Amino acid sequence: MLATLSALLAEAAEKKETVNPVLPTTNEIVYGAIFFVLLLIFMWAVCLPPIKKAMRQRDEQVQADLEAAERANAEAEQVRRDYDATLAEARAEAARIVEEARHAADVRRGELIGAVETEVAAKRQAALAELEAQRAAALGDLRDEVAGIAAQAASQVVQQPLDAAAQRSVVDEYVNQAIAAR
Amino acid sequence: MFAAVEFPPIENIVEWPTWFGSGALAFNKIAFMGFIAFILPVLLFLIASSKYKTRLVPKGIQNVVESSVDFVEKQIILPTIGPDGMGYLPLLLSMFLFIFIGNLFEIIPTAHMPANARMANPLVLALITYVVFIGAGLKHNGPKYFVSALFPPGVPKALYVLVTPIELISTFLVRPFSLAVRLFANMLAGHILLITFSVLTISLVGGGILAIISPFSFGMLVAFTGFEFMVAFLQAYIFTLLTGVYIGGAIHPAH
Repeated sequence: MLATLSALLAEAAEKKETVNPVLPTTNEIVYGAIFFVLLLIFMWAVCLPPIKKAMRQRDEQVQADLEAAERANAEAEQVRRDYDATLAEARAEAARIVEEARHAADVRRGELIGAVETEVAAKRQAALAELEAQRAAALGDLRDEVAGIAAQAASQVVQQPLDAAAQRSVVDEYVNQAIAAR
Repeated sequence: MFAAVEFPPIENIVEWPTWFGSGALAFNKIAFMGFIAFILPVLLFLIASSKYKTRLVPKGIQNVVESSVDFVEKQIILPTIGPDGMGYLPLLLSMFLFIFIGNLFEIIPTAHMPANARMANPLVLALITYVVFIGAGLKHNGPKYFVSALFPPGVPKALYVLVTPIELISTFLVRPFSLAVRLFANMLAGHILLITFSVLTISLVGGGILAIISPFSFGMLVAFTGFEFMVAFLQAYIFTLLTGVYIGGAIHPAH
């Protein structure tokens, strides 16, 4: 490669009089200047303005869309907050209603239980009274029968009739004492 | 081994025959590339503009055009001049596209010659840059521009003996040439590099046993072609960026 480059340089040196690779030629300067100035004029006057305008419009559109999206987002957030607040209120109301219903149910249950207990107590009292009456009646019957049997047995023992009424009072007294002693 | 390699004469690399016309209006391959570098962006922008009537969302060519505008605005103008430099967009965009398309001819088959491997276009663009940045300095700062350019603020007065001649030479004499030579030399070097590997590959293919290493030479040619695509873009970017830096420095000399 070095030999190649050396050959190149040697060749360039030989033809220095006719060709200088560094110096520009007039025609290339003229055309370069013409085409660049033309490009500059076209860019400045024709090509760039619509591109910049479109880019600016799009930027504005994007900015407007972004702002609209932010506004919509804020509105949605507000709606969500309102919804949450309404939901919280509804939940509180439901809890209050449930609590009230529970309280009413407790009261009603107490009332019902009280009424039933009262009724049961009354029935029980009535049953006890009836039982006591029947017991007293049975005891009276038993006492009469025992007095009769005792008077009959005593009259058999003494071989003469005894006063039934007196015997009954003796038996009654005895029974009363027995009951009292128990 | 390389004795058989016949490198093309230098005039075949850098000089092109006239197609038509004569003298200062002789139209050759370099002029034709300049014409393409002018007409292609114009057509692309006009096609893209026409599509906005029906579609505001960019697609295809519109994306290419908008990307180039966006690139020059955000990567060149804003960092070098600032938001008040948007008025220079047509100039800097034209400059970038004109150089980039001119450079691309280096790797386009059948062309294989970057327009900027000749000194003419870089020199024209550098002189335009020179005029524009001095004009921008005068427009924004008046005659004080020359004072602030030659006597930079913040420098001890005793150092002006050294600084002022340096600034005079670097800012007002060397700048246009450094701009032009940087672009021209890089593109010419890339052009010679590709020619070297092309000639080497052809010579190796016909070089008997050495033909077995020709794929490596060809691989290098392909790799350097890709590299030159990057150089084409990079040199266009550097030239335009430096133009922006010079304009920005002229507008805001305190910075």
